[in-house]
Amino acid sequence: MSKSNKINPRDKVLLMGNPNVGKSVLFTEFTGIHAISSNFVGTTVTYTEGHLPIGNKEYTLIDVPGTYSLQSTSEAEAVAVSFMQSGAQAIICVLDATNLERNLVLALELQRYNIPTVYALNLTDVAERRGIKINEKLLAQELGAPVIPTVAVKRKGLDGIIGELDSLLSVTETTGSEEDECIACSKCSLCPGDTSKSTTGKPEDYPLKAKEISRRVSKKINSKPSFLDKLGDASVKPWPGIPIAFLAIALLVAVVVFGGRILRAVLLLPLVNNIIVPFFRDFFASFIPEGMLLNILTGEFGIFVISFEWIFALIFPYVLFFYIAFSFLEDSGYLPRISVLFDNVMRRLGVQGGSLIYAIMAFGCAVPAIIGSRAATSRKERLIITLAICFAIPCISQSAAVMALMAAYDWYMMPLMIAFGFFLFVVVSLIAGRFIKGRVDSLIIEVPNLLIPDARSYGRKLLIRMRHFLKDAEIPMMAAIVLAALLAETGALAVIARAAEPLVSQWLGMPREAVVALILGIVRREMSVAPLLALNLTPLQAFVGGAVSLMYIPCLSVFAILAKEFKIRIAVAVTLGTIFVALFLGGVINHVGQLFF
Amino acid sequence: MTSKVQDLYKVPVRREYTVVSVPEIGLLQGLGIRSGTRVALQDRYAFGGPALLSIEDTYTVALGKDVASQIAVQEAAS
Repeated sequence: MSKSNKINPRDKVLLMGNPNVGKSVLFTEFTGIHAISSNFVGTTVTYTEGHLPIGNKEYTLIDVPGTYSLQSTSEAEAVAVSFMQSGAQAIICVLDATNLERNLVLALELQRYNIPTVYALNLTDVAERRGIKINEKLLAQELGAPVIPTVAVKRKGLDGIIGELDSLLSVTETTGSEEDECIACSKCSLCPGDTSKSTTGKPEDYPLKAKEISRRVSKKINSKPSFLDKLGDASVKPWPGIPIAFLAIALLVAVVVFGGRILRAVLLLPLVNNIIVPFFRDFFASFIPEGMLLNILTGEFGIFVISFEWIFALIFPYVLFFYIAFSFLEDSGYLPRISVLFDNVMRRLGVQGGSLIYAIMAFGCAVPAIIGSRAATSRKERLIITLAICFAIPCISQSAAVMALMAAYDWYMMPLMIAFGFFLFVVVSLIAGRFIKGRVDSLIIEVPNLLIPDARSYGRKLLIRMRHFLKDAEIPMMAAIVLAALLAETGALAVIARAAEPLVSQWLGMPREAVVALILGIVRREMSVAPLLALNLTPLQAFVGGAVSLMYIPCLSVFAILAKEFKIRIAVAVTLGTIFVALFLGGVINHVGQLFF
Repeated sequence: MTSKVQDLYKVPVRREYTVVSVPEIGLLQGLGIRSGTRVALQDRYAFGGPALLSIEDTYTVALGKDVASQIAVQEAAS
């Protein structure tokens, strides 16, 4: 996927900085919505690139993964180093004004590469609130490069950065003849890594030098912490942090459940049932005679019926509200606090607190969660959390379908299902931790400032996520729907149902037709539940159906990502394992349940 | 005044210490935790949970028990 190694270094501008300094907000502000996410060749590190117009020239701005240093101690840092070595026309280096000393270490390391740099001194509003005063003119002198104070979330100072870049670039454009000939000889002063002519000294001295500069240019006066600072501190302490965490998660669930339900009931369902579906029924009936083709299009399992009923009216509202709530938690800097608070519990399960974030992410979709788990520090950690996600965490589409299924029964059905999911998560983690070889590292995490997400970059992120959902889900969903329509209308379903009767009816205690859920569930997770909605199941049957779906093979996209991120062997093992466990435990639940109901 | 070297995970909370030695973990250096850094233990979570640290009085880092126990500190000279 990655093209950026091939991009001419003369068109490249790198955006660099520590994690959590507002780099991504700056990136969206500079490049707008059309960002491309790519994998750095040969690594699992993802970065984004977008267009950056400066003057009358178009540059490619690369959002280099946030790093604390260029010491190549992690994969992300190694990638940052490669970006520096492959050359660029300029760097925008983002510095956190509330934490200047540590940020300056990276700034000094970047200077070794002799690439023209503009420094964005970000979060100046937070620094001011905390009584930190930075003399940016003096800092610019110390760094020998322009320093622009910015408040990225309020779009303050952004024009200043572009202005400085423009003048820097116009100088190098006219005097850059030497660079045209540059073949990365690593002998001349233009080459990265050459320290002989650099004035910045040895890397070991940078921390000390950063401290000196920081002392010279900044003053700290006592100030009252703001409400957000106090909340930020409080929310990471066991008290009141743990109650706050439960409250935050309860709020997340409430937003998703009620938001989704209201949008569905008030707007989408009437729209689909009264306007969209009747429109297509009438439209196709006007020129297609009654028969199989018409049924495939607009029959009970018709393409134009269930694609709207299931995807648009059932799944979409919940996906939307999940990402509304999750993106807020993510951008506010709250999630690392949950990792810290529950590290001790997660340790008992064989992983560290950081993995809890992937688990929460997986409630949206397992695919980004599994990709995100690349940041886990050991293979064992990554495998454990991936398995727990595949077996025990439903994606939001599936949760929506399960909620719709359970809504017809007593109130305790849903809590019971959640408790079952929890139990499964614990058991799978423990078993995986016991049998997977390797080690799990200790938690090492910075607890960032708590902040109110910037409306614009939050909105853009939400938009990008929803577009991804619609785009990525579209093909498998359509495939599942076409498959459902074909199975139902060709009579193939009846044949399969008869063959699968011992398994579906005798072992799982479900009606014969439920087999369609097991077939479609391979393609998409919610499809392992949605067909059950119309079957008038007993409470026990509904619970078995929900439980089987929870454990059942995640979906084709998850299979693909497992094969890509791990090995095809692991993808196959997870698929067979989940199918077996789902069918086995589903039958056990059915038979035990029958003793009581 | 000489003070004894202690393991960071076990020191009393809210008192300032200076780091004497850290294990060879790149991320720790990156986070600015090296010998000479001023740290204060803010909280130690129950059941072997992590140590919450205030670094140089400016930012907060959480370290799992294993790592925090490998960091040696000395009471800061005031």
